[in-house]
Amino acid sequence: MKPTDLGTYAKNTWCPGCGNFSILNAMRAVLAQLDEEGLPVEEVVLVSGIGCHGKIVDYLNVNSFYSIHGRTLPVATAIKLANPERKVICFSGDGDCLAEGLDHLIFAAKRNIDITLILHDNRVYGLTTGQYTPTSPQGFKGKSTPLGSAEPPMNPPELMLVSGATYIARGYTHGIDLLQRLFKEAILHKGFSFVDVLQVCMTYNNLYESYNKCVYEMKGNDTSSFDEALRLSRSWRYDGPDAPIPLGRFYQVDAPSFEEVFPGFELVDLDEAKREKKISEVLERMI
Amino acid sequence: MASQLMAGNSAVIVGAMYAGCDCFFGYPITPASEILHEASRFFPMANRKFVQAESEEAAINMVYGAASAGHRVLAASSGPGMSLKQEGITYMAGAELPCVIVDICRAGPGLGNIGPEQSDYNQACKGGGHGCYNNIVLAPASVQEMCDLTARAFDCAFKYRNPAVVLADGVLGHMVEPLRFPERALDQGIETAWAVAGSAATRKNMITSIFLDFDELETHNLKLQKKYQRIKESEVAFEGYRLDDAEVVAVSYGISSRIARSAVDAARKDGIKAGLLRPITLFPFPAEEIRRLAGRGCKFISVEMSNGQMREDIRLASGCEPVQLVSRYGGNLIGLDQIIEKIREVA
Repeated sequence: MKPTDLGTYAKNTWCPGCGNFSILNAMRAVLAQLDEEGLPVEEVVLVSGIGCHGKIVDYLNVNSFYSIHGRTLPVATAIKLANPERKVICFSGDGDCLAEGLDHLIFAAKRNIDITLILHDNRVYGLTTGQYTPTSPQGFKGKSTPLGSAEPPMNPPELMLVSGATYIARGYTHGIDLLQRLFKEAILHKGFSFVDVLQVCMTYNNLYESYNKCVYEMKGNDTSSFDEALRLSRSWRYDGPDAPIPLGRFYQVDAPSFEEVFPGFELVDLDEAKREKKISEVLERMI
Repeated sequence: MASQLMAGNSAVIVGAMYAGCDCFFGYPITPASEILHEASRFFPMANRKFVQAESEEAAINMVYGAASAGHRVLAASSGPGMSLKQEGITYMAGAELPCVIVDICRAGPGLGNIGPEQSDYNQACKGGGHGCYNNIVLAPASVQEMCDLTARAFDCAFKYRNPAVVLADGVLGHMVEPLRFPERALDQGIETAWAVAGSAATRKNMITSIFLDFDELETHNLKLQKKYQRIKESEVAFEGYRLDDAEVVAVSYGISSRIARSAVDAARKDGIKAGLLRPITLFPFPAEEIRRLAGRGCKFISVEMSNGQMREDIRLASGCEPVQLVSRYGGNLIGLDQIIEKIREVA
């Protein structure tokens, strides 16, 4: 399968130069590659939220669910529980899953459900034309913060670490090779995997120059160490324009995922006849 | 007084500021975001509180908090956000708290699109959340009314200690017309002795919607119902246009009423005795006037960008059957010809 096989005829309405294009291209390449390597694309389900990022599911010829603002993860959680053998990949924006749906993000990490979440982190509400989000730097002047936002930003990798996510990484839309590598690692990881993608919004928050100056790729860091991941994730706090910004994998550990420890889930692996027999036994006990 | 070209969403903030609104809590949503933007610009300048909340639910609960402290609070949203706010609104109705919520209605259901519709009629006028309650609902039809009715909504909300909704749509929010600024800021001498202001004087006040005792809650409900009855008796507002000798009456509010007005004029030119009844309050609905016109033998057409939600109220008030419906969905405005045709058919 070639990445172009995963394209659709939907008209793309993102602004020219939008970071979403890199995420789309990287995901398309990774899904095509995984298909070649034995993960059929038919077994993948994509879920998006509401915001500019949400349209990505229209541009990928893969099973998908265009969900509700902030509710990407509850929808994905249920899809995963209903069909645990499926690969479930979520796309969400910083407004979508750090504001309206923050509770769901924390719970997905806490449960360590086997879902991948790609955060389109452009640090602005793009679709509603330029308000500050939870990751906008303090002092951000958007349409609803003409005097500069008063709040310090949230640090998503740090938040995910303390919430229980078992794979945490950060990519950048102008580093496509790294982005593809991280997407692939995240998808193959068993448990909740989170990739914070620093994404430029050409129209409302173009941080291209500042990011280019500051990003560096972490090498040789101990990704099994919670403390080291915490230190590295806190080394840049989404505020100052000139602090070095680490990219790459912060953290990856093995831990039982939600579906594995979900009570009664052994039924899923039984064949049809055995499963029916077992269910009949349960029903008889209720009489 | 000064007059200025302005969009409807901006006029909401003018009305709110003149009405002494001192808190705004919002969340971005198209086509209502400009209300948030204007509030963020002007509220801090006047030392009033503005917060872009982390979610629609957070915003409405901030409204709940500030309203309980006796403040004049405004929120604005659109369909998907209004649905999320219903929890807070029913609690405020139960706790008898005043607030104003502007709904710049967009096309639904679900995500729908950002074009105009009037499909939030039932949600706004029939409660919307759980329990037996009503919002006061005002329906502007111009940029001027976006300002004036927002201000009036504060007065109604405080007079009855009840949530008030200004029900507009994406066109009214975005269209630009001259706005005559209010003559003066409205009198804020409204009784707020009931509030919990964190002071010795309000220490014994209680704001709650929980009444565990069945009879106590029933008594509370009966009190609320009496209040809605008083609102129905005192607050009905509507505009009648060419109704004096009308035989066919188009009932229409908001942006649709402006098209219906043109249709009435066109029908009159053809010699049809057509008129327009434009509800300015949707709750309370101008039922008495419709009853009066029905008694005179008028036939009714409901002109609304929804599936006959208002038509049900016209049916109930008039006792007429059928009441014809002219509607469009999906973000489309009703066509002038569509209404004229229906008037001809009914006449």
